[in-house]
Formats: sequence, C-alpha cells, structure tokens
Amino acid sequence: MIWAAELRRAVRSGRAIVLLGLYSMFSALVLLVVGFVTRELQAQVNAKLAESGGDSEMATQAAEQMRQGVLGFLASNDAAMMEALAKVPIVVLIVFKITLFFLPAYIALMGFDQVSGEVGPRSMRYLTVRARRSSVLLGKFLSQATLLVGLVLVIDLAIFVYARILNDDFAFATLVLNLLKFWSATIVFSLAYVALTTLCSSLFRSPAVSLVFNFILLFVFWLMDSVGRAVSEENLLRFLRFLSPSYYSANLLHPKLAEFAVSGAAYAAFAAVFLFGAYGVLRARDL
Amino acid sequence: MSDLAIQLTNVSKHFGPKVAVNKVNFQVQKGDVFGLIGPNGAGKTTTFSMMCGYLFPSEGSLQVMGVSPSTPGALKGRVGALPQDAVLPPGWEVGALLMYWARLSDLTQPEHEARGALEKVGLMEAWKVQTQALSHGMAKRAAMAQALMGRPPLVLLDEPTAGLDPRIAAQVRQVIKDMKGTQTVVVSSHNLQELEELCDAAAILDKGSLAQAGTMSELTGQGAEFRVQIARGDVIIPEITSLTGVTDARMEGPDVLRVRFDGQAHKAEEVISRTVGHLLQHQVLILGVSRGRRLEDRVLQLL
Repeated sequence: MIWAAELRRAVRSGRAIVLLGLYSMFSALVLLVVGFVTRELQAQVNAKLAESGGDSEMATQAAEQMRQGVLGFLASNDAAMMEALAKVPIVVLIVFKITLFFLPAYIALMGFDQVSGEVGPRSMRYLTVRARRSSVLLGKFLSQATLLVGLVLVIDLAIFVYARILNDDFAFATLVLNLLKFWSATIVFSLAYVALTTLCSSLFRSPAVSLVFNFILLFVFWLMDSVGRAVSEENLLRFLRFLSPSYYSANLLHPKLAEFAVSGAAYAAFAAVFLFGAYGVLRARDL
Repeated sequence: MSDLAIQLTNVSKHFGPKVAVNKVNFQVQKGDVFGLIGPNGAGKTTTFSMMCGYLFPSEGSLQVMGVSPSTPGALKGRVGALPQDAVLPPGWEVGALLMYWARLSDLTQPEHEARGALEKVGLMEAWKVQTQALSHGMAKRAAMAQALMGRPPLVLLDEPTAGLDPRIAAQVRQVIKDMKGTQTVVVSSHNLQELEELCDAAAILDKGSLAQAGTMSELTGQGAEFRVQIARGDVIIPEITSLTGVTDARMEGPDVLRVRFDGQAHKAEEVISRTVGHLLQHQVLILGVSRGRRLEDRVLQLL
C-alpha cells in the first residue's frame, strides 16, 4: 500500500517529469556526441583509404575492424559477449555504458530524500503509528525502484528506436530481444544503487547531507573499482574492486547464464546488504 | 485485563549527555483524559514521543495499551497521535492523504472515516486542498483529524490547541470532552486553564522529572481545601480551626480565608457548610466560596 501511494505521489509530482527530462537530455546528448564521433572517425578512415588508393571493400573492412576494436573494449574482449552483441549498433553499446556509469548519480538525485525528507520534518511519525518501519522502508524502496524501471524503459526504448532509424540492418526482432536484455541488465544494476540511496537517505535527517554522502559513497566505490583494476595481480589492493558494485557490471550483458547470474547475484547481495543496513538504521533511530 | 492505558516505570531518555526525561513514573487509567503539564523543556514532548514509539526510552519500561511502543507495528489500530511539530507530507490533497492513512490503519471505510474526522475538526472545506497550501491552523486540524480516524482506544494529542483561533480551539476542546469515558486521551499543553477544564488526571513534569502526578482533584486540592472570599466582618481564625474536620485556617491577604480540612474523614460539602454557617452566625458577610485552588497556582507552586 505504501509502495502504491508513494509511487502515485512520485508520478504526480513534477520531480518525475524533471528527472525523466534530465535523463533523456543526457542520453540524447551522449547519443548525438557518440554518433557524431563515430561518423567523423569513419569519414577520416575513408578519406585516408581514398588517399592511399584503397577501394570500398577495404573501407568496409576498416570499419569492421574499428567496430571490432570498440566492441572488444566494451565487452572486455570476451568472445562470447562480442558475438552476442555483434548485431547491436555500436552507438547503443557506448550510450548504454556511459549512461550506466552515470545512472547511480541519477538514482541518488531521484531518491536522496525518500527517508530523510520525512524524518527531518517528522512526517514519518504519521506513518509509523500505522505501519512497521520495515514496511515504510520497503514501500519507499519499491516505489523508487518501480519509477526507475519505468524511466529506464522509456529511455532505452528511445535509444533503440533511434538506433533502428539510423541502422537499417538492425532488425526488429533483434531490437526487441536486445531491448529486453539491456533493460533487464539496467534493472539488475540499478536496484543495488536504489538500495544504496535508501541506505544513505536513512542515515541522516537532512536530505542535503544524504545526497552529499551518497555522492561520496559513489565516488569511493568508483575509486575502489579503479584502484583494484589498476594495481598488479600481486597487490592486495586488487581485492578492493570486488567490494565495488560497478565491478560486476561487465557481465550483465553476457550471453552465458552462469556469467550473468554471478553478476546478478552480486548486485542482489549488494541490494540486500544496503537494504538491511537501511532497516537497521531506521529501526534503531529516534524519529 | 488491565485498567491502565499507559504505564511508565522509571522511564528515562538521554540525548547524549543531556537527560531529557529522568526516571519518570505515572499511570493513565483507561477512559480518562490525562494532562501532561510542564514548562518548556520539562520533557513533555519527549515523554509523549516515547508513548507514541517515535523515541525509544534509554531506561525503564513503558507500556501503552498493554504493549511496548518500541515493538514494531504494536500500536497499529490502538493509538491515534497528533505529534506537535510533524509536518504533513507535501504533494497530497488532504482528503487523499487521510484516506491513505485510514487504509494503512486497516479502517474499513477510509473515505467515511476521513470525512468524519475532518468534519469533527471543522475542516471539510480542505478536502481537495494540497497539504503544503494549508495555513498553520488548518494543518494542525488536519493532523488532529488523522489522530481521530477510526476512534482508536487511545488518542495522544501534543499541544492540540496551540496556534488555533479561540473558536476552533473551543471546538477541539469539545471533541476531547466527547471522547471522555469512551476513549483514553492524553493531552500535552501549556494552557493550564484548558487542562483543568478537560482532564481527569495529570502529571506535572519539570526539568525532565516528575514533580507530581494524580487526579485533578488531588492536584488542585479540591478534596482538601477551600477558600472563602470575605466581603465584610472579622474572621476569628482559632474558632474556624476548632470546627470539626478543619485542620488549618489562615487569611491569604485581607479578604480571602483559606481553610484546609481532612478530606478523607469529612465530606467537603459538610465542612464548607459548617464553616460558612459559622461565619454568617458571626456577622461575617461572604462574596463567594471556591474549592481547591487553580491548577495554575498549584503548578506555579511546584515549579
């Protein structure tokens, strides 16, 4: 009941529309920039080939090599994943990766005050004489998650439709299949971050402090992942990457179920830890 | 089944080094209107908040309608609460918000309950108004309405009439009077005249500690003293003191005779009649008789 009521309120409020606009604008910007850069690179390669007397077949080969290079970079040179993503326009993959990187910040902006915004002004008191704190927390988490799932679907759909318009060989069946795949991957990825935002929002009475703390944690997680990847395999710091949710995003589009399941399980575990943490904080705190 | 709606046993609440409530003990009988009295910082709202489960006691035990308010979900359906400074959540129409809360409380007719409660506090016109657009007084009444929905057996009201205009405040007082006997009501307020009018019993808090708790009769001394306002004539104190049941008599100023009596062994009406009769026999003319003293006087004496 709290879930439905909070969701209705969020949908009716201007914030949902503002966030949708913000996310759409960001995705569109990335899409346009990536599209522009890709076209420019292709044009330069074609020009070089023309100068050196290469024919159109060589241009096609060069384009394919470039595509394979980018795909290899995005898919960590995993052959199975590269094969599975071969039919997806490269621009969609790049936009997906970039939006996924910024999605946690977007989630923080969306839900930083879900709990602190009610604890600070004490509106929470009207709820807790009627419902368990755990129900209030779960309702708020689920409403944020549902809203995000809807917003991500809208954006992903727009990106895929745009890619379909630009690429005639991007078949409708492939589009639908990959849309579902990308959408599912985004949902799995984002639920852990929605839970993290719920935890940060539960820790403080002030929404502004919750937001800042949330951004600090995102930065720390990014740092742990980056440092963990950058150091040598003998260095103990390499284990830091396993403590960062973003580390597990690489296999979210993996065609092998086992690889996807490990990533999915990692995100589920992070979501559970953050949610239990939020409950522990809210359960023990004075309202 | 216990006749107690609320029982506090050695309840303390610390905020860091600050002791907000210190080993407070009192009980509230079911069906009573009970007052929480005290100056600012006395611990009224902290005590109130612990009763509602908003704050957890640092020490001691607290039972509200037979359960601990700290137990998750324990107060659902048992308690209606008006917190003093809780803001109504923005982005809701008042009617929709009350219906949502009524559903959360498992009330079978949410709209009926919401409309009924708003009508009680005279706020039907706000049904479609957004909560953030309500004036202070209207928000207070909307918050009061949510506490009344479903006629919960215990209603906790923190400063229910603060900031309300006199007409609406009187309406709220009438709502509280109407609950007397059928629901237990705890009212925290600075308005001692209001509490004296409404309450069957009260607890007086000062600096976090309990100064006194008891029935209103005990607190105001209605069963143990009365005052006679003298218009003319000489009062001979030793003669008054020697009357049956009288334990002490003295003049409070030139025109007021205060008489204390043994309220356990003698009925108030007998001692008052005896004293007044004696005064009249001795050509002392009187303007009036009042039992006990005002709650305000008692509180000022204690604090």
